Amino acid sequence: MSQLFRTHLYDEHVKLGGKITPFAGWEMPVQYTSVKEEVLAVRKSVGVFDVSHMGEFFIEGKDAEAFADYLVTNDVLNAPMGKAIYSPLCREDGTVVDDLIVYKLLPGKVMICVNASNISKDFNWIKSKHAGFDCTLKDNSSEFSLLALQGPKTFEILKPLLNELPDLEYFSVFQTTFGVHSVILARTGYTGEDGFEIFATHLAITELWQKLMIAGVTPCGLAARDVLRLEVCYPLYGHELNDEVNPYDAGLGWTVKLQKTKFIGKDTLASKPAKYKLVKLVLDRGIPREGYPVLNAQGEMIGHVTSGTMSVITNKGICFARIQIDKVPSNEVFMIDIRNKTYPAQLTKKPFVTGGHK
Amino acid sequence: MATNIPANLKYTKEHEWTLIDGDTLTIGITDFAQSALGDIVFVEVPEVGSDLKIGSTFGVVESIKSVSDLYAPVTGEVIAKNSEIESSPEKINEDAYGSWLIKVKIKNSSEIENLLSAEQYQEFCNSSH
Repeated sequence: MSQLFRTHLYDEHVKLGGKITPFAGWEMPVQYTSVKEEVLAVRKSVGVFDVSHMGEFFIEGKDAEAFADYLVTNDVLNAPMGKAIYSPLCREDGTVVDDLIVYKLLPGKVMICVNASNISKDFNWIKSKHAGFDCTLKDNSSEFSLLALQGPKTFEILKPLLNELPDLEYFSVFQTTFGVHSVILARTGYTGEDGFEIFATHLAITELWQKLMIAGVTPCGLAARDVLRLEVCYPLYGHELNDEVNPYDAGLGWTVKLQKTKFIGKDTLASKPAKYKLVKLVLDRGIPREGYPVLNAQGEMIGHVTSGTMSVITNKGICFARIQIDKVPSNEVFMIDIRNKTYPAQLTKKPFVTGGHK
Repeated sequence: MATNIPANLKYTKEHEWTLIDGDTLTIGITDFAQSALGDIVFVEVPEVGSDLKIGSTFGVVESIKSVSDLYAPVTGEVIAKNSEIESSPEKINEDAYGSWLIKVKIKNSSEIENLLSAEQYQEFCNSSH
């Protein structure tokens, strides 16, 4: 087994009693006290996640925006300066290399934040498409730590700690300072709640983490993060997204901007080729888990659960399921096979939980 | 790891506790198990009248993140199940030894001899973690 990485906050997590687990090549805190308490802290108050394992790439130069726009399916070029844009990163055949956020920091300066498990795959892919664009491309992942401060009380906790904190719009980004450190602040997150993601040096983030602990912010682990994102129906790479599916297979058609003149995958994606439909299902009894078969009313297998859990907020089993497009039942009757017993599941169009983000 | 292991109970390597009363065996999961699982949100146990075979799975305990099978510590018939725990599984986190799951009528009393004493279970917990 290859060496696992540790974030610069590893000792802090251990000190706080965090249970450590390997995740995407990193030793990460999966929970501190209780998943339930951590989820509730984020929904009702404020919690903080160490997500320093995630990757940060920088594109700088005259063509920075044009290059980022060409790489991803969503519209970077026409988004205002200071915006954060969520998008899949696709291949020519439409399959998804990763999903990521493009931050338009300054004219000619773009940051891309990618999933930890895909850092080298993404960077190699992006590098292979770099020719012809007048800009530099750097993987600065090892220089950055990243905290996600999430929950309705985020703003009031963070404001006194920073030299400047404007009331940023949701999905926008701003550069400011924390003491002597420069930080990149984005009003983004993976929980559906209001919050900020804070990119800075390891030293700055360690200081900030300690200040947040003193301020009473609840440290939250990856288990709570997974419940939070699933409750508000955000996809996770390796589950709803992977190297075999395209954005339409994962309910991300809204991120494919076919009116753009060119982007990688456009020719294939133009016909909206979906092999699957990603559905949201709720169970009154039973907890759906990844890989469980999904059946129609006749008991025929039509797909699989891609992510499932018990919602802390609704106290019901919730899941995403990938259904073969030609087998989506018109009567909307779905059943889930849990340990050879079938449990009825209700289709829902809306997220399981509505987050309080701006 | 300090755990609560009452001396009057017998245990399994699957982190279950048992209470022997004549030919009835009451079964639950240990404090160590509930702590390792975290917030327990779902429990499924067999209906009264079901037959259990030693070593086979008879139900599950699920936390938010994981599913754990329950293994029959003895062969026998289920004579009672704790419906209260099925509707309020979080009680296991609050009081693991007060939250029994099922009662079994023991078929082969010799199987009882393989259960671990509190001391043996403590040793098992120490050595495996």
